[in-house]
Amino acid sequence: MRSYFLLLFFIVIGSSIQAQETAMNTSEITTFKEKVIATAKTTKTIKTDFVQYKHLDFLADDVKTSGKMVFKTPNLVKWEYTNPYKYSVIFKEDQLLINDGGTKSKVDIGNSKLFKKLNQLIVNSVKGNMFNDADFTVSFFKSSKYNKAVFIPKDKKIAGYIASFELLFNKDDAQVYEVKMVEPSQDFTRIIFSNRVLNNTINDSVFSN
Amino acid sequence: MIRFLAISLLATLVLTSCSLKTTEGLRQVRFNEYAIENLYFSNFEIDYVYKAKIEVYGKNFGGILIIKKLGIENHRVVFTTEFGSKLFDFQFEDDTFTKNFIVEELDKKFIINILKDDFKLLVKEQTMVLGVYESENQRIYKTKNDERFNFYFTNIESEKLQKIVNTSKTKEKLTIDFTSSEGNIADTIAIKHNNIKLTIDLEKFKKE
Repeated sequence: MRSYFLLLFFIVIGSSIQAQETAMNTSEITTFKEKVIATAKTTKTIKTDFVQYKHLDFLADDVKTSGKMVFKTPNLVKWEYTNPYKYSVIFKEDQLLINDGGTKSKVDIGNSKLFKKLNQLIVNSVKGNMFNDADFTVSFFKSSKYNKAVFIPKDKKIAGYIASFELLFNKDDAQVYEVKMVEPSQDFTRIIFSNRVLNNTINDSVFSN
Repeated sequence: MIRFLAISLLATLVLTSCSLKTTEGLRQVRFNEYAIENLYFSNFEIDYVYKAKIEVYGKNFGGILIIKKLGIENHRVVFTTEFGSKLFDFQFEDDTFTKNFIVEELDKKFIINILKDDFKLLVKEQTMVLGVYESENQRIYKTKNDERFNFYFTNIESEKLQKIVNTSKTKEKLTIDFTSSEGNIADTIAIKHNNIKLTIDLEKFKKE
């Protein structure tokens, strides 16, 4: 009997936790999208720290790496891991410029549609402005702390790699503060941004290897 | 005289080409060990996480290699990109190999076989000893691996595993070098193939 009460208790608690996040209605979606697009338009450069957590269900702890990210409009992005190792990737036109602890290499992504798509996702997720992407079904949620957009790939090949892609936005300034990529196995990667600086001058030389 | 020279030259050639360089200059010794152990992936409680650098035919790739012991002779081996997306996810349980996931670009039989053999050797904990050799500071255990052999080089004093060499009857095929400063943790691991241009360098994530 007691265990039934416990069970009931957890169901109630569980559903009340879930209830904190609700789907947006049509007008909320319109307002939210407009705000994100307006913010993205005025964002010329972004410089931010990030922490990445790779979750694998069989590990005791998530694999944690961290570093800095720099973005310059229209589509220059540099991801730089500094801890626990040095590794950077620059997204530049149809190329990836990689510096793996001093070993430099270049990857042409012009021919790979999948790779191009994944990179486009990374670039666009930084700005948050990817609602018009025809390759995804997008749904919107809100809570007291954040707004959330969930992207589910329509393309079967992409769906083989990503089950869903979630962006969490600050309520006040409509900036992305967390990116979550869920794999078909339900393992996921979370990237959390902090110390964001907007629209400072960033020299193009930052984006060369 | 000429015939003698020719025969001895031929004999030298045949003998040297047939002898394995791995055991050159080592003396074979009596032994009573049944098995040799590789303890670098033997703790259930540790998430073994390494930064990986792969060089294959002059091309460089990076990633993160994650190894977890799930049971006795049961290891999960996952390789992801730096961004966290999985490139492959294997499981080695006794002699059973399971491919949980591999990206399409790597999903080719010869690639999977190389990766399977390399990581199987890397995580295998116990192997039966066939023979033992010694040098001044190393004790070397010979083991059998299908049609091939593995030589486990250990430091005589610390008894730590320093190197595994995989050989055919006459040639070295693969070398795995370990460095370890503390306990049964490998700080760096270098896997080098001799018949194909492939090296995998692993460096343990530093504690924060």
